[in-house]
Amino acid sequence: MTEKKLKVDLSVPFPTEREAQIACGTLSVDSEPKRGGVKKELVVKGNVLNIHFEALEARMMRVGMNSFFDHLNLVIETMEKFGPPEK
Amino acid sequence: MVVAIGFEGSANKLGVGIVKDGVVLSNPRHTYITPPGQGFLPKNTAQHHREHALEVLQKALDEAKISPKDIDVVCYTKGPGMGAPLVSTAIVARTVAQLWGKPMIAVNHCIGHIEMGRLVTGAENPIVLYVSGGNTQVIAYSQRRYRIFGETIDIAVGNCLDRFARVLKLSNDPSPGYNIEQLAKKGNKFLELPYVVKGMDVSFSGLLSFIEEKAPQLLQKGEYTPEDLCFSLQETVFAMLIEITERAMAHCGSQEVLIVGGVGCNKRLQEMMETMAKERGAKLYATDERFCIDNGAMIAQAGWEMFRSGQTTPLKDTTCTQRFRTDEVDITWRS
Ligand SMILES: Nc1ncnc2c1ncn2[C@@H]1O[C@H](COP(=O)(O)OP(=O)(O)OP(=O)(O)O)[C@@H](O)[C@H]1O
Ligand SMILES: [Mg+2]
Repeated sequence: MTEKKLKVDLSVPFPTEREAQIACGTLSVDSEPKRGGVKKELVVKGNVLNIHFEALEARMMRVGMNSFFDHLNLVIETMEKFGPPEK
Repeated sequence: MVVAIGFEGSANKLGVGIVKDGVVLSNPRHTYITPPGQGFLPKNTAQHHREHALEVLQKALDEAKISPKDIDVVCYTKGPGMGAPLVSTAIVARTVAQLWGKPMIAVNHCIGHIEMGRLVTGAENPIVLYVSGGNTQVIAYSQRRYRIFGETIDIAVGNCLDRFARVLKLSNDPSPGYNIEQLAKKGNKFLELPYVVKGMDVSFSGLLSFIEEKAPQLLQKGEYTPEDLCFSLQETVFAMLIEITERAMAHCGSQEVLIVGGVGCNKRLQEMMETMAKERGAKLYATDERFCIDNGAMIAQAGWEMFRSGQTTPLKDTTCTQRFRTDEVDITWRS
């Protein structure tokens, strides 16, 4: 079977593993809209949040990733202003 | 002692409020105002919330003179509302809850309006008229549910006002409904409009189409002024709301009526309700724009009640949903 999916792998480093986990916790909650045809998987390795995206069309991939980056930026800004995490 | 912080962003207002055992410590809000003639779209509204959430949060903490340590629970609006703005607001709530190591509570927006109204006015067991941009419901509490007695079968009353304000190109600052109210005070020539009450329910879409279609020529010919049209619109839609509220009060034998939601800060609506209540020997409870219009404290207050009755929402369940009916919520904090 020939592969028809677009794939993107993204790695986002955080100051600490705890912060990577918090970002993962926040960003894993919302499922992608079903009709969007985008899938995303988030995994934390050390202080890095790894995100794997799959989509059927480039257009959908762009929409999914745009909104992911909007949300990721918001998480990072929130951590900068209201972090670091309590021990 | 329980301190709750609430995040609200289901429509064009971004609010963060802090409530400590029935006392509102702070309740700042930032509103996304669109140009006259334009409504607010989900994408732009979400962007507004992302841009302002952190400054509003900081303001809420500063005004309350509270440090994150003192907060017991982080509450956020789960729905109903617009998807993208809800999610953007929830993202900030989830992140700070984890940073500060606090539990979360998912709150139904409508329940937030009701509990805020009850807190501010002290009404105990009122019939509730909930009127806003997205909702029009007459509600009575019974057996751990806020039961919907009557509602709109199409658009919400606030939506009807907002869309007519667009026809007149009124300012959206602070809200279209507020500006209709100001013009209506100067109107006096009444235009008969379709009045649609079906049993316990109301309908506004026919009325809106009628006035949208007629307005331009009536104004152009100089037969009616914008003030007259605002006046006629208010008198008609409010009379419909009073009628179904009165029916619910008669049915339940209720001696209290509470108005909540953004349209609820309209003085003319309050006056008409007061007249009806007096005739029945009942009492009207209403609040002003600080608590009627979407705000963070209402989410904190409903969350405070939920938290004290033993609920919390695990992080993985802190999703948002565009549809979430008032009567889906188990009211664990009332008998
Ligand atoms: N003084 C007023 N008179 C009439 N309507 C008003 C007044 N002030 C605000 N409104 C209307 O209230 C509505 C906003 O209500 P609210 O702040 O509860 O938000 P909403 O987005 O409609 O929330 P909901 O999800 O509860 O429907 C708008 O339709 C606005 O025009
Ligand atoms: Mg509201």
